[in-house]
Amino acid sequence: METKNIYLPRLAEITDIKQETPDIKTFKLKLSLVYKPGQFVEFSVFGEGEAPFCISNSPTRGPGIECSVKMTGKVTQALHELNIGDTVGIRGPYGNGFPVENLKNKNILFVAGGIGLAPLRSLINYCLDRREDFKSITIVNGARSSNDLVYKDEYPIWEKAKDTRLYLTVDCQEDNWSCMVGVVPRILEQIKPVCQDSVAIVCGPPIMIKYTMPVLLKLGFCPEAIMTTLEMKMKCGMGKCGRCNIGPLYICKDGPVFSYAQVKNYVS
Amino acid sequence: MIEELRNKARELLKTKQVEAVIGYQRASDGLSAIPCVIRSEEEAGRLIWDAACVYNLCGYLKDFRAKKLGIVAKACDVRAMIVLISENQLNRDDVFIIGMECCGVVDEKRARVSGRDGSDISSADKCKSCASCVPLAYDCLIKEKREKAKVSEDADKDKYEPVRKLEAKSLSEKSKSWKDEFKRCIRCYACRQVCPMCYCPRCVADQFMPVWFSKAGGIEGNFSWNVARAMHLAGRCIDCGECERACPVGIPLRDINRKIEKDIKELFGYEAGMKTDAKPFLACFDKNDPEDFIK
Amino acid sequence: MTLRILLNRVKTDTLLKKNMTKFIKKEDLYKLLNSFLKDFEIIGPKQIANKGIFYEPLESIEDLYLGELFAIEPAKKFFLESSECLFHSGFLDGKATVQDAPLPDKRRIIIGLRPCEAKGLILLDKVFDSEYKDRSYINNREKSVIVGLACAKPDKSCFCTSMDGSPTGSRGMDVLLFAVEDGFIVEIYSDKGKEAFSSLGKEPDEHQNKTLSAYKQKRSELIGKNFKVPGDLSPIFESDYWDKVSFPCLSCGVCTYLCPTCHCFELVDEGRKMYRCNDGCAFSNFTLEASGWNPRPTKKERYRQRVFHKFDYFKKIFGENLCVGCGRCIRHCPVKMDISEIVSNAPSGAGK
Repeated sequence: METKNIYLPRLAEITDIKQETPDIKTFKLKLSLVYKPGQFVEFSVFGEGEAPFCISNSPTRGPGIECSVKMTGKVTQALHELNIGDTVGIRGPYGNGFPVENLKNKNILFVAGGIGLAPLRSLINYCLDRREDFKSITIVNGARSSNDLVYKDEYPIWEKAKDTRLYLTVDCQEDNWSCMVGVVPRILEQIKPVCQDSVAIVCGPPIMIKYTMPVLLKLGFCPEAIMTTLEMKMKCGMGKCGRCNIGPLYICKDGPVFSYAQVKNYVS
Repeated sequence: MIEELRNKARELLKTKQVEAVIGYQRASDGLSAIPCVIRSEEEAGRLIWDAACVYNLCGYLKDFRAKKLGIVAKACDVRAMIVLISENQLNRDDVFIIGMECCGVVDEKRARVSGRDGSDISSADKCKSCASCVPLAYDCLIKEKREKAKVSEDADKDKYEPVRKLEAKSLSEKSKSWKDEFKRCIRCYACRQVCPMCYCPRCVADQFMPVWFSKAGGIEGNFSWNVARAMHLAGRCIDCGECERACPVGIPLRDINRKIEKDIKELFGYEAGMKTDAKPFLACFDKNDPEDFIK
Repeated sequence: MTLRILLNRVKTDTLLKKNMTKFIKKEDLYKLLNSFLKDFEIIGPKQIANKGIFYEPLESIEDLYLGELFAIEPAKKFFLESSECLFHSGFLDGKATVQDAPLPDKRRIIIGLRPCEAKGLILLDKVFDSEYKDRSYINNREKSVIVGLACAKPDKSCFCTSMDGSPTGSRGMDVLLFAVEDGFIVEIYSDKGKEAFSSLGKEPDEHQNKTLSAYKQKRSELIGKNFKVPGDLSPIFESDYWDKVSFPCLSCGVCTYLCPTCHCFELVDEGRKMYRCNDGCAFSNFTLEASGWNPRPTKKERYRQRVFHKFDYFKKIFGENLCVGCGRCIRHCPVKMDISEIVSNAPSGAGK
């Protein structure tokens, strides 16, 4: 029997493009896909190459998937040049996703930096759509400046949701900015989120993760109750190509969602 | 000679003239050498010196920017350092050159592919055309006690003979033979990594916007990679032969480099690394240049 | 001779209940291989002047080298090709399309593989013929008959016995040849092997059987390096031992590309064809991200990754080391680094 080609992508049409920040766009694709918050797909821009992106919308809000892409390299630049109606290739979904069942009846603290909000947005909206399954929701979202904040139109909705608090912060004071100022770990120290019956979910640049973890531990979160979604240059998505090895784990296959207890020895 | 070398290293470390000495120690097979870094007097006893010390150690200087280092160097290694200094990649005051008088190193490559240990194999080809046992520059010289002049015996022989043979071939013959060679290239970049002149922080082959030398599909990428590297070494290659030695698939890389070296020598009378005060050949402008495109 | 099994796609590991043993004269082996040239591609080691031994498709069986020297590149390259097209993308009537790359169909006999390399294929199976199945790798596996050659004289860098292998090991082989005086003793392990070889030669006589068992025992004793891999390396992940031992490393790809078990790759879209190309953890840009961040920024992290992947991570996932002890990375390292020495001297416990 012929083996299926695991590298062959499915075709998906871009149905909407939204400019989130000067260098981040959110692409909406026409594609039926069964996935969990926190999983990712491999995007193929034909003729340019592949790159992994987490799915940033909630599976409760289909049909179609959304991915937010920051322009940094060859593939992302090509992707930013595409228009509505263009076709891309999609492989996936890959990865474990968030353990949504284990989050039930817990207070959830979301900690995001920059485009790190993308995988969390999927889970935030998932939680809000099943609000009764979860206790309080706290979202701490930071960016370098207000121009770098993503999903701005959803903030008012999140703020209004039941038992939900949203803290926005930027690194430096700006004109016409009325929310908080300071890097994410400092904000956490100020707001002191409750650690009982809580899970913290952290996603952001490596430097933010590095300084956020000790603060969460100090606040009383145990390493098992801190989840993070790691990203590395994942090429194959199937635990073969060897790039995203972190300890005995492959981020693409065993992650990208890990508890801090699982990876603390390898994140330095 | 080895004791003299070790004592020199001890003295340099003791008097804090250098922070470390880069040299050779015995490899696990008991015959070959492996590069090492000596940071204390106690470790100096690990240093060795013999015909197994084939590598050019200049590349390791990059790992220790802005520190005063001692380095064990043969004549050809010092040639590389002279070029690095002229290209502002190395500050002469940052290195203490422990010059080694050299009677030639083993042909490590030939030993490896023929499954022998090297003791019964004559000197590397590059040594046969090497005219000098003594480095052009050094801070101290450790002299060879054995009988000398073995190196220069054949030095008078036309060192460009293999190049002339290549030049005599027709264009299509040349194209075919190099295609056959580059077909084998596995793109391990050992040639680049071992080369004392390949110090670009980001090699053109590692760039991906655009990708200049694709690894996919046919041999075009291999061909352009190897040619681009040769061109980038024009007027800079000091013929240490490390690229050819390191190449696991046996591509005769020295032949390409020597062809360019020969052309430059014949056309401009320039040889890289042979004069301590020479300016980088391709980075100089001469008002009397006969070409007018540059004026 | 009918080649029912060989010309159909079968898995390599349909093993015989009982091994068959034959004795075959050298000229008979060559005659047999010659007769296969019509239906099969025959790949074997070939001596190339000034370069060494290379596995290549043989145009003439006369080129086959079955001597003591080891091939420089492992035969891995015929299973996990250095650059292999996976799919094509394009436009048809204004619409984007994707299409599987065609799989080559020619059956082939790969002769002269050493026991360590054949075992390497079994390790690669764990990665490419497991949860996510790589169709071109599996195709390459299924269409090949593996006729190995037991090692006559191990190299000083060989350490297969420390990796649970043997110079006369049969794992991953369809057939294994033992070079003896005036010919070969042939051990046949699989259906494929049986079909190809059973019609030839004769049962070995008592003397030849004795020679075979002596051969097997003596070859293992010739392996000079013997060591035990620490059970768990993770306590020394942060040790400065890795700083020290990685110093000579040039960050080139010799060790990974010549390794029969290293399999890291990249995906390259070249002219609307997606290729799987060799890549290796020793390269500084292997994990470099477009943002400029590199989780393995220096040779320390990269060399440690190679050691840990082989002797810790893979073992934790699949129960054995991702190393067969062929010694290629030691023999061909441009600065003579020795992974066997580095692993066997690794400090135990979390100390320095």
